[in-house]
Amino acid sequence: MYDRLLAVPVFLPIAGGAALLAMSGWIRRDKQERIMQWLVEALVLVNSLLMAWLIAGCGGVSGGRVLFRLYGQLTVMFRLDRMGSFFAGLVAFLWPLATLYAFEYMEHEERRPAFFAFYTISYGVTLGVALAGNLVTMYLFYEMLTFATFPLVMHPMTTEAARATRQYLYYSIGGAAFAFIGLVTVLSFSAVGTTEFVAGGMIDPAAAAEHKNLLLFVYVLAFFGFGVKAAVFPLHDWLPKAAVAPTPVTALLHAVAVVKSGAFAVLRFTYFSFGTELLRGTWAQWVAMAAALVTITYASTMAVKEVHFKRRLAYSTISNLSYILFGATMMSPLGLAAALIHLLAHAFMKISAFFCAGAVMHRTGKTYIYELDGMGYRMPVTFACFTISSLSLMGIPLFAGFISKWNLCEAALRLGGEMSGGAGGPVGRVLPYIGVAVILYSALMTGIYMLTVVVRAYFPGIIGKVKGSAAGEPEEEEASAGKPAAREASAGKPTARESVAGKSASAESSVNQDPSWRMLLPLVIFAVVIVAVGIHAGPVLRYLALIGGEAG
Amino acid sequence: MNRVWMDLVTPGFCGMGMHLQLDGFRLVYCAVAVLMWTVSGIFSREYMAHYANRRRYYIFFWATFAATVGVFLSANLFTTFIFFEIMSFTSYVWVAFDERSASLKAAETYLAVAVIGGMVMLMGLFLLYDLFGTLEIDAVSVLADAVMNGSRQAGNLPESVWTGKTSGGFFATAKAQLYTAGALMLFGFGAKAGCFPLHIWLPKAHPEAPAPASALLSGILTKTGVFGIIVVSCGLFGSDHSWGLLIAALGLVTMFVGALLAVFSINLKRTLACSSISQIGFILTGIGMACLLRSIGEGNSLAVRGAFLHMVNHSLFKLVLFLCAGAVYMNLHQLDLNEIRGFGRHKPALMFAFLMGALGIGGIPLWNGYVSKTLIHESIVEYMEAVGGPWIWHLAEWVFLFTGGMTVAYMLKLFLAVFVEKNTDPEKQRRYDEMCSGSVRKRMNGGSGETAARKGSEAAHSYMRPETTAALVAAAAILPVLGLTAHQTMDRIADLGQEFFHVQGHTHQVAYLSLGNLKGGAISICIGVILYLAVIRGLLTEKDGAGNRRYVDRWPAWLDLENLVYRPVLQVALPAVGGAVFGFLDRYLVPASTAAFLAVSTFVGRVLDSAVDGVVRFARLTTHKQVPAEREPHDSNLIAHVVGGAADAVAAFLNGLPWNRQKAAAQKSAAARQGAGLEPDGQLQRPARESVTDRLVRREERFRDNMRVIQESFSYGLMLVCVGLCVTLIYLVWGFLGR
Repeated sequence: MYDRLLAVPVFLPIAGGAALLAMSGWIRRDKQERIMQWLVEALVLVNSLLMAWLIAGCGGVSGGRVLFRLYGQLTVMFRLDRMGSFFAGLVAFLWPLATLYAFEYMEHEERRPAFFAFYTISYGVTLGVALAGNLVTMYLFYEMLTFATFPLVMHPMTTEAARATRQYLYYSIGGAAFAFIGLVTVLSFSAVGTTEFVAGGMIDPAAAAEHKNLLLFVYVLAFFGFGVKAAVFPLHDWLPKAAVAPTPVTALLHAVAVVKSGAFAVLRFTYFSFGTELLRGTWAQWVAMAAALVTITYASTMAVKEVHFKRRLAYSTISNLSYILFGATMMSPLGLAAALIHLLAHAFMKISAFFCAGAVMHRTGKTYIYELDGMGYRMPVTFACFTISSLSLMGIPLFAGFISKWNLCEAALRLGGEMSGGAGGPVGRVLPYIGVAVILYSALMTGIYMLTVVVRAYFPGIIGKVKGSAAGEPEEEEASAGKPAAREASAGKPTARESVAGKSASAESSVNQDPSWRMLLPLVIFAVVIVAVGIHAGPVLRYLALIGGEAG
Repeated sequence: MNRVWMDLVTPGFCGMGMHLQLDGFRLVYCAVAVLMWTVSGIFSREYMAHYANRRRYYIFFWATFAATVGVFLSANLFTTFIFFEIMSFTSYVWVAFDERSASLKAAETYLAVAVIGGMVMLMGLFLLYDLFGTLEIDAVSVLADAVMNGSRQAGNLPESVWTGKTSGGFFATAKAQLYTAGALMLFGFGAKAGCFPLHIWLPKAHPEAPAPASALLSGILTKTGVFGIIVVSCGLFGSDHSWGLLIAALGLVTMFVGALLAVFSINLKRTLACSSISQIGFILTGIGMACLLRSIGEGNSLAVRGAFLHMVNHSLFKLVLFLCAGAVYMNLHQLDLNEIRGFGRHKPALMFAFLMGALGIGGIPLWNGYVSKTLIHESIVEYMEAVGGPWIWHLAEWVFLFTGGMTVAYMLKLFLAVFVEKNTDPEKQRRYDEMCSGSVRKRMNGGSGETAARKGSEAAHSYMRPETTAALVAAAAILPVLGLTAHQTMDRIADLGQEFFHVQGHTHQVAYLSLGNLKGGAISICIGVILYLAVIRGLLTEKDGAGNRRYVDRWPAWLDLENLVYRPVLQVALPAVGGAVFGFLDRYLVPASTAAFLAVSTFVGRVLDSAVDGVVRFARLTTHKQVPAEREPHDSNLIAHVVGGAADAVAAFLNGLPWNRQKAAAQKSAAARQGAGLEPDGQLQRPARESVTDRLVRREERFRDNMRVIQESFSYGLMLVCVGLCVTLIYLVWGFLGR
């Protein structure tokens, strides 16, 4: 029964979004719009609950069901397995919260009905990627995702946005072409005759032995093809540019849904189509791994150079996506589990960071980092959440990011141990160790580019003080800053002066610019999840170890 | 054997679980932590009273307490790391607390060292975990012993250590990997401890942090680093000779550099900070000697006990000394020795506290510092005798004694400057003297009155509140008490802690006040006094115009490891290299490759496109040279003229019909009503119809032109071929059917 219902969460948002798009001309007045918003939220929430019920109902695994046949063996088929459940569950968790956030954020923007229509459609399409039971289906939804999301990038309708959109389309469609080569090759070398995902791969071993180098070449092509959405180095440029989109888009789509679909597709392709048996220890693995490592180094360095808040986060996303790809290219159970835990952790960290950036933009219009002096006191809840996500991104213990980085490094070292016997050739012997060093380098860079923001927000320093922020200052300076001399004379008791100082400080900091609950609720939930995963990651790790065990 | 009072395992915490343990060493250090936080907590109440955001300070004050205790209790390096990182971040807030630009810069340095140290340590932990599959301190040290000694008999050693690790991987042997891991962890812990090349944060961060925080930073946070170094050195490489040499050398260099910086410094808290570096060097030397002695099979209890006791002692000295500095700063907001000179006169409580600290740290007999320094000194001598006394160990001994002398010298300088000498400015000195007791009245007069009034109002309750004074004096009193009852107290403390160092050989009671031991102390004191008189008095002061001696900072400003090496490397070289490479990639390579791709593909497309046109053009230039065609005159367009003339005639006839004539009249009158100036509306008023003949003629011309172009073009040729093919086909079919 469950497998029959699987198509519903995919097509319900698509249909809902299409309906909204059709009706968008009629939504003119505030009241209609409010109704529209609640309907959208209800739809998304119902869909998420349905998804949760499906996952829970069948324990994360269901039989596949062919929906329809395109031609021959090209079938559209949905199936739920552990990895799909994991990604679908993650997406279903995030989407209602992000939609809630978007309502407030989009207040200042035009063309809201169209925005929410495409936002909702993207939900269905992303679930389609997650639930796809074979490579064909995944490829279809992967392509659809490009077309469902480009209107969102174009949303501001500025020249910059148009350029970004064009680049996004070129890159994505171009990448999909390479992915298509992979699809065709898998189909023709498949041991079962279809492209259905099989844990551990489905390439016919006999044929593979014959055409090994061809297959590896195709793998590399497909890696970069699917890697476009995961922003692998030479093909990353669309992501920072796409930061022009409204923040809910950058946060949910360009930090989670779209880019994680890319990473997810790479994982599927590597572990469920090609299979690690074929790839482990070959040059294709090292090419892919090297690409991931170069991306990590590149993006974390560029993030330090970037001063635009959202673009800096976008560069950080590029580097973190390649953490996932680094895990993916380890071709080992541990690597897969580590990639997935980073997929989870990064989703929460980055969406939270972007939402904070969005909250700042929404409330104050500040978009550059040097404008953020002292913001920590004006938006306390927002910046508390931002601090948590920054520390987590750095990989500080107690937060989710630490767990994922630990697992990644552990997997890399294990791989290095396995390869040290000479199985991976001279490159494979060294690359995993370099990978660990790169991750630590990137953690350092993350420290620089995230903590500078936090430090600015909380320790505005001398500049902020002149402006009169709530920075703590010794009584002496306060007194000499032009307090009436009469009070000086009478102020015999330090406590009296101190309370005055305290009051003035609190009056200054009481200009609370935190956004309303619709923005704060998602932020707080994400922060709580980050800490919860950071402190007690056991259940998640066990579940992921199962995935790793079956597919690695 | 090591006695354990408490053992707490929380599986699953942060993924790997948390393991806390309470044994003798940890018990002592938790007690020290509690003592230090209590005393500086009491002190903070007064010190922080005038800061607006005290709440932030207290939150991080206690958070750091929890994290520090966590580090000391941890029985698993993973747990250590977790608490270590938390501690680094919470204590960062202390350094940045004042938010002056100097504090922020110092905080930046602190954070940079902490983060880099943490990352490097993490790398070491990864390697260690990869090697052994566990990070439990006890288990790791057993396994490490087995690896270092190359013995396979340790039953629980995973086989993976032997298989695969020896066949030429990234690390040639398990031993190499263990060394790498150890070195990385040493880097991480050493950064926190203030070990030589990484000591840069101490002289910057300590003067900037609030005094109670400096006391803790110096007194106990650095000890978390030492804790880690002990785990690595005594646990992993306890019997390794070269490791011991490394640690001992680092210790000697650190102690010397720190003391040298302290002698030159003219800032009260900075001097104390540099002194911390130096004292950490003493501790490291002790640890190094412990490793060395164990590696040659001697009992190393002297070194172990010396290192451990010096750790405890140093925590206590620095608590007292930094709080005294805090008392000065709290009243004067100054730390420069020339400014605060003479502040301590007539303030017996402060003077007592500072004097106790100074005597303790200076290694004066009967104070506690003497005991620990003597033990470390003895261990050097012991090792020297055991290996037959090459000159290098004589040098080491003399470095040790000379550094002890420098310690005496800079403490003497501080003490004399603050408590004995008079300030060069008599007005200041008078104000300082007024702060000494409650009997002083407020003075309200002009001129310097503003500051005087404020200070006066505070001085009304003396320079320190009674409870603060009590706490400070009590903490200071611990030092001589420990020193005087060395056998009853310090020996017991050492007994508790020494198991943690994997002590070897059994303990024998040391007569601390024997002649031989006193000799070392005496040499140091003599060196110290001579140094003070010769160097500090002679070289580091100068007479100003009024004939008063002033302290001057003779340390060359450029000679700063941070500004000389680290900042250029980290802020210029790395970004220059990384930024240039990636900036180049981003700005030029990626667009250039895109542009190149586009250019090539466009070129290829154009070439393919024009290959065809080119043939045509070539033909037109050569064989099909175009002769300008004669324009056929209009008259020859027979069909157009005939048809057009007929159409015109019909039109004229139709317009002449009566009903059409009325319509035309109506149109005309409407046009008149609209007015001549208005643009005629196309629907209402058509332009006068031109002759059909003309239109047809023009159309025919155009048609002919088109036909000519088509005929000349390549497609026309293709079309003809197609037509030809079709005709051929039809012919064939026709023939087939006809047969």
